[in-house]
Amino acid sequence: MPMPPAAATTTKTERGVLTYGAVNRDILRPLFKPTPLYLMALGAALTAMAIGGTCWAIQLDQGLGVAGYNPPVMWGVYITTFVFWVGIGHAGTLISAILFLFRSRWRTGIYRASEAMTIFAVMTAGLFPILHAGRCWLVFWLFPYPNQRELWPNFKSPLVWDVFAISTYFTISAVFFFIGLIPDVAAIRDASKGTMRKIYAALSLGWHGTNNQWHHYMAAYGFFAALCTPLVLSVHSVVSWDFAMAQTAGWHSTIFPPYFVAGAIFSGCAMVLTLLIPMRTLFHFEEYLTMWHFEHLAKLCLLTGGILTYAYSIEHFIGWYSDNPYEWGIFVFRATGEYAWVFWIMVFCNCVAPLPWWFKKIRTNITWLFVISIFINIGMWFERFNIIASSLAHMNDPGSWTYYTPGYIEMGIFLGSFGWFSFWFLLFAKVMPSVAIAEVKEGLRPPLKSDEEAA
Amino acid sequence: MSSNVKGVFAHLDCLVNAIHNLKQAGYRNIKVAAPLPRHEIEEMIYEGKPSPVRWWTLTGALLGGSGGFALASLSSAVWPMTLPAGKPVVSIPPFIVITFECTVLIGGLMTLLGLLYHCRLPALDLEFELCDPRYTADHFGLVLTDLSASDRTKAGDIIRDAGAVEVVDNVRKEAASG
Repeated sequence: MPMPPAAATTTKTERGVLTYGAVNRDILRPLFKPTPLYLMALGAALTAMAIGGTCWAIQLDQGLGVAGYNPPVMWGVYITTFVFWVGIGHAGTLISAILFLFRSRWRTGIYRASEAMTIFAVMTAGLFPILHAGRCWLVFWLFPYPNQRELWPNFKSPLVWDVFAISTYFTISAVFFFIGLIPDVAAIRDASKGTMRKIYAALSLGWHGTNNQWHHYMAAYGFFAALCTPLVLSVHSVVSWDFAMAQTAGWHSTIFPPYFVAGAIFSGCAMVLTLLIPMRTLFHFEEYLTMWHFEHLAKLCLLTGGILTYAYSIEHFIGWYSDNPYEWGIFVFRATGEYAWVFWIMVFCNCVAPLPWWFKKIRTNITWLFVISIFINIGMWFERFNIIASSLAHMNDPGSWTYYTPGYIEMGIFLGSFGWFSFWFLLFAKVMPSVAIAEVKEGLRPPLKSDEEAA
Repeated sequence: MSSNVKGVFAHLDCLVNAIHNLKQAGYRNIKVAAPLPRHEIEEMIYEGKPSPVRWWTLTGALLGGSGGFALASLSSAVWPMTLPAGKPVVSIPPFIVITFECTVLIGGLMTLLGLLYHCRLPALDLEFELCDPRYTADHFGLVLTDLSASDRTKAGDIIRDAGAVEVVDNVRKEAASG
């Protein structure tokens, strides 16, 4: 029986030939053994969470007034940070679903950690509408449920669309993530003993990699990827409609969905770089997270960053061309008014800072990759702040103009969100394989007797 | 009492040869375990037959889509808001968003149910003949079940000749799980 052609990928690495057994060994090695650096990072995350939790407790006790809200600016850091984290949550499912359908081989090394980032970022984003609602115990009012008064949410409101979009995105991304984990959890089960073996045996659901299981698994995986693909593009479109459906100057724009989706992918890919570059060194994943992966991420950032720069330019052009004094006024105000510092940080971080990546030498330099990814993360938070705060602080009636700046409660909760996100990500990195074992093997040349005989 | 024969392979081409030769010899109930999905195995065993999981996805998507549209429309009819500019109670453009989200949500959840049902998961002790820690690392497994003694011997010879690194006659559940 002749064998079909083997995968073209070379399996030789700097340290020799990569085998299926070596993949298991290398990827499972960092599990369960916390290093002092890891414990320090975990401690920092827990401290940030404690600060955020304390600030939230103060807000619950004293009311939303402590959050610096003052009419007409009733959306501030919470909604900014909500949009920021939803945006971060885009890259994981983009990499795992869309690039799967495109058969992009460079996704295999990075998709597991990116998916985990997505889940935890959406979990973080989900906190902010709850925080923003003030009376968080009534947040279930957002969802449609049968009730005595026959009251239903207004399905024509983009805020209700957002509830559906975010909860669907979280549910489907989480299912996709856990399905992807099943074969790898079985690998941990088979490599562990005692109680850990029992725990992972339960988590693997009894997976044994039988032909029956792989047959249905691969079909289901493809369908999940197909379902997730439009979902990735729709989520931030729906988030953008929270703004674009309003009549507020600076928000009411038809370009918002593609502009927001591009921005989300841009920030998500930058966050993947920010997380994976240290992970690569700390976990000794140099053979699995290579410069090849990082360079592709940088290229994706260049593409989406270019789209974003175009969107910034064209929205200013449309503001001028509309001949609407309110519309043009807000764009002039953003660039030259009290919030000009926010605007120019955004422009520098998102439009200028990534430009050195056009040079191969810079986009294949690990330090530059990391530094520029941080700039993009900062720039993308300021982009959302720029959109939200400036438009609300400078609405049509000059008598209501104000200047909103975040207070210590909001900044504490903002810091806490990073602690919450980092806590989950660090926990994941120690109990689950951060690189997809089975999929990495798919990219390797399979073990063949004919190869050994030829050698 | 199950009567089976098990082969463990370190090489994919040996496994594929074994499946091919067993099929030539008339064996049909071939089960394989692998650390990764390989199209060679899929093609030899399923011969292009698609997974029925797709019907679960389609059913879920149709149910979710129609259910989402019905939820938005019927709840608007129960609580009609007569807004200015003649906006209809059942308004297609905004309800498409809810319809789409519910299509994906229920389609995805039904795909999950279909996957679990057809993979027979969770099942901690199912197909014990194929339980071997090597199969999630770097080996491939092959098992033939419900065989007579002579068939076991013949199948064992075919598996060994194909290049199996280990052939076990009649695997017991206790031995496999231990």
